[in-house]
Amino acid sequence: MLGMRMMRGRRAIVASILALGAATLASSVVAGQFRTMDPKSLNDALANGQAVRVADIAAGDGSSGRGVFVQTTDTGYFCLYDALSASSLQRQGGCNSVDDPLGGSALLVSLAYDGGPDVEDAREARLIGLAASGVTAVEVLMTDGTRRDVRFKKARLESDDYVAFGYRIKNDDLRKGIGPTAVIAKDAAGTEIARQATGIGS
Amino acid sequence: MKRLATLAMTIVVALALAGAALAARQEYAGPRAWSAGASAGSSYSSSWKYNHFFKQGSGYDTTVTFIDNVTYSWHATVRNTAGVTYTYWFVSNVKRGHCRANSGYFWGTCVVSD
Repeated sequence: MLGMRMMRGRRAIVASILALGAATLASSVVAGQFRTMDPKSLNDALANGQAVRVADIAAGDGSSGRGVFVQTTDTGYFCLYDALSASSLQRQGGCNSVDDPLGGSALLVSLAYDGGPDVEDAREARLIGLAASGVTAVEVLMTDGTRRDVRFKKARLESDDYVAFGYRIKNDDLRKGIGPTAVIAKDAAGTEIARQATGIGS
Repeated sequence: MKRLATLAMTIVVALALAGAALAARQEYAGPRAWSAGASAGSSYSSSWKYNHFFKQGSGYDTTVTFIDNVTYSWHATVRNTAGVTYTYWFVSNVKRGHCRANSGYFWGTCVVSD
């Protein structure tokens, strides 16, 4: 009986060591493959490429309206950002591989704001996003539990259809500590098909 | 004596150019493994304009921002799960880049540049 227990214990230890070794090896492989890109080459690729305005962020709270843009680069990126204009170098957003624009999800969302990090100190907060073509409604879930409907536009990029949106959070809400906690995408039946948390209120 | 002066001048120019090149970009964190809650900051400079978080792929929630050296509040903050999260802040204020991983575990690098 004691021998059986010792044998099981040894097997568990060996299995743990093998699992740890496999994890370390996998981590080393990723580390070996990962290369930091030169930000200048990304900035240059965006500056030289053609931006497509897919949605708008309305002016409000004393801030100018902004555009929501998508752009593919010759360096293999698909970028979503907001800026004052297509020619502006002052962009805020993110890039995925051109082979997977939404990053494996039905919804790609980017949150930008000034001030903070606490919600009460934030201002000029904006949400921009792109969703798969089956999405027929986009909502912003606020930290007080209310939901805000988001207007979106259909966008055809390359040969794929998407819906795109931009949404400005009211400064008055932010001052009260009410911020966007998630963006929810729904289909025609009203079923939630994707949700992207913003990190606020979680 | 003249050659020595020329050599000294060449070295000064080379150092200045090298300094300028260094000032143009700083990889202030990584490449390294990131776990949820980990963060890092660059040195302070008035020349930083861009802040990028390069990740091994998409799906990892990260934040990039700038922090000024007077009020220490955040500016031009961007948060998303894209493979590259980036922002700009085109002002002459002295500031540092700051990046944070809100999820993990992944490989990535934070870079500020002018």
